[in-house]
Amino acid sequence: MPKILIVDDSNMLRDMVKYALNEGGYPDVTEAVDGVDGLAKAKATVFDLIVSDINMPNMNGFELIAELRKMPTYAKTPILTLTTEKNDDMKAKGKEVGATGWIVKPFVPEQLLKAVGIVLSR
Amino acid sequence: MAVFDINKYRQMFLEEAEDIFEIIDNILLEAEDAGDMDNETINSLFRSVHTLKGNSASVELSKFAALAHELEFFMDKLRNGKLAFEESMASLLIDGVDTLKHILELELSDELEHDYFMTTKEELLYKLDNFSQDIKEIELLNEEPSAQESKVIEAEKEVLVREIVEVPAFGMLFPRESNAYGPMNGGIIDLDEDEGFGFFDELVLVDDDGFGFFDELELDDVEFDEGFGFFDEPELVDDEGFGFFDEPELVDEDGFGFFDEPSKIEDKKVQAPLREAKKEIDVKDNEAKDSKKFKADSASNSIRVDLSKIDALMNNIGELVIAHSMLTQYTFMMQDQKIKSELSERLDLLDRYIRELQESVMGVRMIPMETVFSKFPKVIRDTAKKLNKKIDFRHYGDSVEIDKAMIEGLTDPLTHIVRNAMDHGIESIDRRKKAGKSETGTLIMSAEQANGQMIIKIQDDGGGINLAKVTEKAIQNGILEEAQAAQMSKDDKAMLIFAPGLSTAEAVTDISGRGVGMDVVMSNIKKLGGVVKVETEEGMGSTFTIVLPLTLAILDGLNIRVGKEQFILPLSAIIETLKPEEDMIKQIGDEESEVLMLRNEFIPVIRLHTTFNIIPQNHKLSDGLLIVVRSGAKKIALFVDEFMNQQQFVIKPLDKNFRNAQGIGGATVRGDGTIGLIIDTMNITQNSTRRAS
Repeated sequence: MPKILIVDDSNMLRDMVKYALNEGGYPDVTEAVDGVDGLAKAKATVFDLIVSDINMPNMNGFELIAELRKMPTYAKTPILTLTTEKNDDMKAKGKEVGATGWIVKPFVPEQLLKAVGIVLSR
Repeated sequence: MAVFDINKYRQMFLEEAEDIFEIIDNILLEAEDAGDMDNETINSLFRSVHTLKGNSASVELSKFAALAHELEFFMDKLRNGKLAFEESMASLLIDGVDTLKHILELELSDELEHDYFMTTKEELLYKLDNFSQDIKEIELLNEEPSAQESKVIEAEKEVLVREIVEVPAFGMLFPRESNAYGPMNGGIIDLDEDEGFGFFDELVLVDDDGFGFFDELELDDVEFDEGFGFFDEPELVDDEGFGFFDEPELVDEDGFGFFDEPSKIEDKKVQAPLREAKKEIDVKDNEAKDSKKFKADSASNSIRVDLSKIDALMNNIGELVIAHSMLTQYTFMMQDQKIKSELSERLDLLDRYIRELQESVMGVRMIPMETVFSKFPKVIRDTAKKLNKKIDFRHYGDSVEIDKAMIEGLTDPLTHIVRNAMDHGIESIDRRKKAGKSETGTLIMSAEQANGQMIIKIQDDGGGINLAKVTEKAIQNGILEEAQAAQMSKDDKAMLIFAPGLSTAEAVTDISGRGVGMDVVMSNIKKLGGVVKVETEEGMGSTFTIVLPLTLAILDGLNIRVGKEQFILPLSAIIETLKPEEDMIKQIGDEESEVLMLRNEFIPVIRLHTTFNIIPQNHKLSDGLLIVVRSGAKKIALFVDEFMNQQQFVIKPLDKNFRNAQGIGGATVRGDGTIGLIIDTMNITQNSTRRAS
């Protein structure tokens, strides 16, 4: 059963992602409220997939991903970013810090599940 | 297939939006005051609006999202340095945010007319555009002559295009025309509006319900419908046609069918400087760290818990307290002294742990007063503007903690008092000048904890309450007899403003209304177990003091006995207890009122047996005991027969039928399972003074 970590400062979006994942057959979902919280939780448990917002207080998504990639445990773990913007800079930055891909907000559950299914099956 | 429960998420969005709006308002208010905004603040602002936009789109509030996008777009220009911050912008943005709130309300209640929305949006855009134009002119002046000329042409073109595009309100034209914008803005518009966000706009136009664009895209273009992508594994792209890619640059050239495709088609040179600029911003973003600096600390390492869960926990602890006291009670009946004392020892330990547990849970419920205060700068600014008054708002005691459960009940009465103080208290600029005061009125809110109580003060330096007028009005309305009025103290007269239907304002305004309100303030505060009082000095101002219990759940109380009845007195109300000597008691007035003379202070005595109609053990005050308690701002001495034990009690509200029981504030279950009544020292004063008069 894959363990998934969702990092988002919005209560609502965390809940939406969690709901979509649970409904899609991924019951083991942990939530974190920002990069700092996410990093702490990622250190405490080994996750198989991380879905992170970009724009967050304390530590943003890019910083989080960069930190995670420094850890041997998360060198290869798929990390998807949740983003409203999908411009070149977001992509360049995402790629630079080592994110696996992006999911555009707003999203529908099927979209999220499709993306998650793909990265987890790799 | 999973489908989002849109109403649930809208509710969550609304809660988050309220927090974000508050942050935005406070940032803008500060900027308005300071006449300046630093980069970090602009970034915070941008990201707050960005979050609003993104999240609202997720809950299908497409019009709100479209409008938020306009503000975001404007703020993006600010943070990119395309626009310089001007003092008047803060005010415009505050209005813009108000518009946003208004649209949100309408869209949520499904009352937003398309035409109204379009007009509102155009008005906002028009105002925002004024700034954009100004800046362009300034920039043009700094350009070299030849460049200037071409830029003028570009600028004119832009004006033209904007007219075409925006007056018909986001026709399908909009995205297509954007490449005519010229180098200055073209890039941004392409990136933000045509691409990533463009669909918001399109949706508004094309499709009123604003959603289902994923489906639409699915039909149109397989690559679009994914709404996600991967940074690596280009082979997947080929296999699935999803639009994964290895390098964004490559994709650019390939012109894969991504969201940003149209912008790639355009002149790359146009985008290059923009990309540089954006990269700089990214660096700044990283430095700036967070968009919610007011709440940053609480956000890290914290979870949101529904208050009802904490209440349930608190209730459980309450039951634990009761079970503990039942056990303690049981030890009294034990014959074996050794076992009894050993058990008592362990029960004491248990008692300590229960207290600690209770304190921890209470701690969870406590949040700083800053949360309450931060709602006011906006209210005060708006009200001051409407009234054309100048007001300096200060607050103290931001870190003083208050029970979260109280905040909800407290916000309305506080707002009412504040509005009232601004409307009726603080004078107009002219009047203040005539009175030799500074033009700017001062409004101070403060919070402190003292004697196990929460004390909140709202103080203004206005004209004070016109007591003669209030009294006159009270007599007119039949609230008061003239004879009574003559005997009333200044403070008692001031308290008349809390009587129903009393308004002395010459002009009824839409700020604080027609005298419905101050009585509601009083009843709201009473519901929280608190009291309000007001002190006023004509020409100097008024001070409202709200005294609240720290918690609504559990209290430390003293068991007292009157005749055969037992009552519980909150420890927090008790000042001292004494056995009076005969010469300490004085009879006054009609010989029925007794006062205790304690260290040169006269304290009215209330015989509890009279209040509750009980046959007492002692009739002579010097035979019984007196407890001096706090009753609002005053002291009273309660006459009882005996003090019993001290212990914790879980407060249970009285059933509705008994709410009017004078002098009783609540009930509890005692260790032996019987019901104990808790004395409300505030109410008991009023009760007995009424009797005396």
